[in-house]
Amino acid sequence: MSKENYDFPDKDGRFGEFGGKYVSETLISALDELEHTYKKVIEDKSFLEEVKNDLETFVGRPSPLYFAQRWTENLGGAKIYLKREDLNHTGAHKINNTVGQVLLAKKMGKKRIIAETGAGQHGVATAAVAARHGLECIIFMGEEDIERQSPNVYRMKLLGATVCAVDSGTKTLKDAMNEAMRDWVTNVDDTHYIIGSVAGPHPYPQIVRDFNSIVGIELKDQSRELFGRYPDKIIACVGGGSNAMGIFYPFLKDNSVDLIGVEAGGSGVESGKHAAPLSDGSVGVLHGMKTYLMQDQEGQILSTHSVSAGLDYPGVGPEHSYLKDTGRVVYEAATDEEALDSFHDLTKTEGIMPALETAHALAFAKKIAPGLDNEEIIVINLSGRGDKDMANVAKVEGLTL
Amino acid sequence: MSIIEKVFQNLKKENKKALITYSIAGDPNLESSEKIIRNFISEGVDIIEVGIPFSDPMAEGPSIQLGHERALKNNISLLSIMQMCLKIKNDHPNTPLVLMGYMNNFLSLKENLFDELKNNKIDGLIIVDLPYVESEEFLKKLNDKGVDLIRLISPTTTEERIAKILASSSGYLYYISLKGVTGSELKISNELENRVSEIKKQTKLPIVVGFGIKDAETARKMSFCSDGVVVGSKLVDEIGKFEPKKENILNQNLTSIISELKHGIS
Ligand SMILES: Cc1ncc(COP(=O)(O)O)c(C=O)c1O
Repeated sequence: MSKENYDFPDKDGRFGEFGGKYVSETLISALDELEHTYKKVIEDKSFLEEVKNDLETFVGRPSPLYFAQRWTENLGGAKIYLKREDLNHTGAHKINNTVGQVLLAKKMGKKRIIAETGAGQHGVATAAVAARHGLECIIFMGEEDIERQSPNVYRMKLLGATVCAVDSGTKTLKDAMNEAMRDWVTNVDDTHYIIGSVAGPHPYPQIVRDFNSIVGIELKDQSRELFGRYPDKIIACVGGGSNAMGIFYPFLKDNSVDLIGVEAGGSGVESGKHAAPLSDGSVGVLHGMKTYLMQDQEGQILSTHSVSAGLDYPGVGPEHSYLKDTGRVVYEAATDEEALDSFHDLTKTEGIMPALETAHALAFAKKIAPGLDNEEIIVINLSGRGDKDMANVAKVEGLTL
Repeated sequence: MSIIEKVFQNLKKENKKALITYSIAGDPNLESSEKIIRNFISEGVDIIEVGIPFSDPMAEGPSIQLGHERALKNNISLLSIMQMCLKIKNDHPNTPLVLMGYMNNFLSLKENLFDELKNNKIDGLIIVDLPYVESEEFLKKLNDKGVDLIRLISPTTTEERIAKILASSSGYLYYISLKGVTGSELKISNELENRVSEIKKQTKLPIVVGFGIKDAETARKMSFCSDGVVVGSKLVDEIGKFEPKKENILNQNLTSIISELKHGIS
């Protein structure tokens, strides 16, 4: 695939057959306004300068590229590097997107910010930028996630956000997104909805990808400098797919680089208890986009299972669906058990505690690294830090803190 | 002339407005939801919107969300809903039945959808999350089978879009009375009435108003500027009170809601 023929989304917001704008009529004008404003600001030098400045001074970019030497030695194969998004302010890649979107919201004159969150990282990243710009902030979070990610709930509250517990449906991320959409349709005049992944109706998949692409852009520079070439493989976990899209996108036309997305395999893809729509789903429409989904024959969305709240989502960003079908990106799955195992590995051997979401990417690297030559370079997007998961890991492993 | 067109033509002759009900297939169960619809028809409801239960009904407020949840517990299929419609239709060929739901459920039947709609004599579809821009291909296939795609227009729809929507619509137009989910509090304003009147000037299609109409007084006011009103949450709330041995009482209560509303708009 060359640069010339990768120009997505197209004018209708599609990545091949995927994507689009499947929302109720009331939201169309807000999406059009967002699309229009976005097109304008990405041509606007002062806007781009402001984003850049915030990324440097508020987020702490660039994030380092770190050589996981002891883990590499233990695995005895390819060299493993970590792109340290966990070192960003608020502890994950999610802030790359919220820093940009809050400035967009201000351009559109919106006074109120809403967002959905699963792991709470996107909620915290949204609450932080809303606090900084003095905007009202409401975060929707499923009741089950509130329980398993409680430290982040309190962080959001400290940052001045209102956290709305969502008790409909499966009480997780997808239901939080439904509720955020309902709020948006009601308060569409003064509210901007900051979607937290490369999911939802156009133009969100594009906007969130673009704001997260800083990760891949930096990696290009860092790998040229450090290795004199690009990595052989880049691995990222995939929930909605924003950290993966962010690190993959600048490499899409560099065919020598293998791109691997890792979904949540839950109790195993064969068990049906997972959150891996690309590995074991079918095409449908949810949350404004056509994409791969976990659904039954009637088109009802299935409940998902993952130890990680941030991956516990039955859909995936439409660009990933397209990249899967074209074969440019390969999608795998890691189970709860494999993820927990890698969570401990990295914490013990490198002194870096990863988020459980991220641990899925680590788990796949652990599987393949030993079989690869030690000249090969793997970069893993270390999308977030794991402090938020401590209580949950303890609980899963039968301990109380 | 389609059955929907005939209904509005007859109403117009008598200087009357349409009463349209929304209830969910399978709520509280498929059999009872059929009885509820039959009761609506015998009470003089003009058009029946049959809600298709979805796991993620994003546009619905609390009342109708609960209705979807109740219906989903019964594991009914879209095909069995259409078969129920056909049974009703065989007894009441002149009452339009319109399926209202979300895109993903309709997609589940793939290309069979269009033949099934025709074979089960469905008059129209309302797809909440299928806006104008995404619908071109779908619309052609529906119209080939003589099924109307009923379009929604909202308070945020721009003039430019309204013109495009009108150009590709059939059956009737559904004006969403408010910015919000179904069952929200509706405040009637001059703005709302003016807007409906403005749209009416641009089209020959009938326009009905829905979302938030719960009592005879609101129905009456909204019927002045439009060709009819849709009532949903109020009925679904009542259906939520269903108890197995008291089905008759439920239908009596629904009957009195309907006759009040009918009274309001006549
Ligand atoms: C640290 C971290 N990584 C990954 C994800 C998954 O999201 P995405 O696939 O959009 O990167 C989340 C979501 O909450 C997260 O917190």
